[in-house]
Amino acid sequence: MTNIIAHLNKAFESRIRLGIMSILSVNDSADFNAMKQLMDLTDGNLASHLKALEGIGYIQSFKQFIGRKPNTQYVITGEGRRQFKEHLDALESLFK
Amino acid sequence: MQFKVLLLYLMNKQLEDIKAIREMMEKSTKFISLSGLSGILAGVTAILGTAFAYFYLLKDPSFTDYSHTQELMILLADALIVLFISISFGVCFSWRKAKKNKQNLFNKVTLRTLYNLSIPLMAGGIFCLVLLFRGDIWMVIAGTLIFYGIALINVSKYTFDEIHYLGITEIILGIAAAIFVSNGLLFWTIGFGACHIVYGFVMYRKYDLKQND
Repeated sequence: MTNIIAHLNKAFESRIRLGIMSILSVNDSADFNAMKQLMDLTDGNLASHLKALEGIGYIQSFKQFIGRKPNTQYVITGEGRRQFKEHLDALESLFK
Repeated sequence: MQFKVLLLYLMNKQLEDIKAIREMMEKSTKFISLSGLSGILAGVTAILGTAFAYFYLLKDPSFTDYSHTQELMILLADALIVLFISISFGVCFSWRKAKKNKQNLFNKVTLRTLYNLSIPLMAGGIFCLVLLFRGDIWMVIAGTLIFYGIALINVSKYTFDEIHYLGITEIILGIAAAIFVSNGLLFWTIGFGACHIVYGFVMYRKYDLKQND
C-alpha cells in the first residue's frame, strides 16, 4: 500500500495538471486556448498549472505567431511522459 | 479502521482521476459533437426523398412524361436536396452540442474528422455521378451505400466507435443492392433511412441524454 502511494506523483495531485498531461500525452501538441476550452478553465488558472509543469520539466512551450496573434504551443517531454505513465500505472495498481 | 477509511477515500479520488484522464484523452482527440438527433433527422429526410423518387418517378414510369435525361436530373436534384438538408441538420445540432459543452465547433479535431470523412465520400460521389450519367442508376444506389460505408469506417477512428458498425452495415447493404438490383431502392431506404434513425436513436440515448442530466 505505502508502495503505491509512493509511486503516485505529487505533481499530478491537481486534476487540472492531470488534464494537461492527458491531453498532451495523446496529441503531438496542443495550444493554450484549446486546452482552456477542453477543460473549461480561466486563463490564470490554466497558466499557473502549465507554468508549474514546465518548471519541473514535464512539458515544454513554444511561442509563435499565427498572423499577428501570439500562440503558445505545448508538448510533453520524454521525462513528463515517463512520469505520467508511472503515475497511471500506480493508479491502476490501486484497483488490482 | 482509520486506515480503511483513508484507503476508501483515496480509491474514490483516484477513480475520479482516472475518469478525468479518460475524458480529456477522448475529448482532445475525438470529434464528439455529433448529435444523435441529426442522425434521426437525416434518416427521416432520406426516407422522404426516396418515397418521392419512388412514387413520383420509378413506380409507374407512364405516370409522367419526362425524358430519360429529365428523370435523371430530377433524381439527382432529389438526392442533393436530401444531402443538403441532412448536412444542415448535422451542422446545426453539432453546433448546438458544442456550444453546450463550451467548445469551439471548428477546431483541429473537427477539421481532421471532416477531412477523413470527405476523401472516400468525394471519390464515391464523383464515381457515382459518372455512373449516373452513363445511365446505370441501380449501380449508383449500390455505390453510394458502399462508399458511404467506407467513409464512415475511415472516420470512426476520430469519432464515436459505434460509427464503425454503421459503416459495415452500409457496405453490406450496398453489396446486397448491387446483387439484388430490383430491390435496390429498398436497401437504399434501409441504409440511409432506417439505419440512420436506429443509429441516431441509440446515440442520442447513450450520449446526449446522459449529458443533459
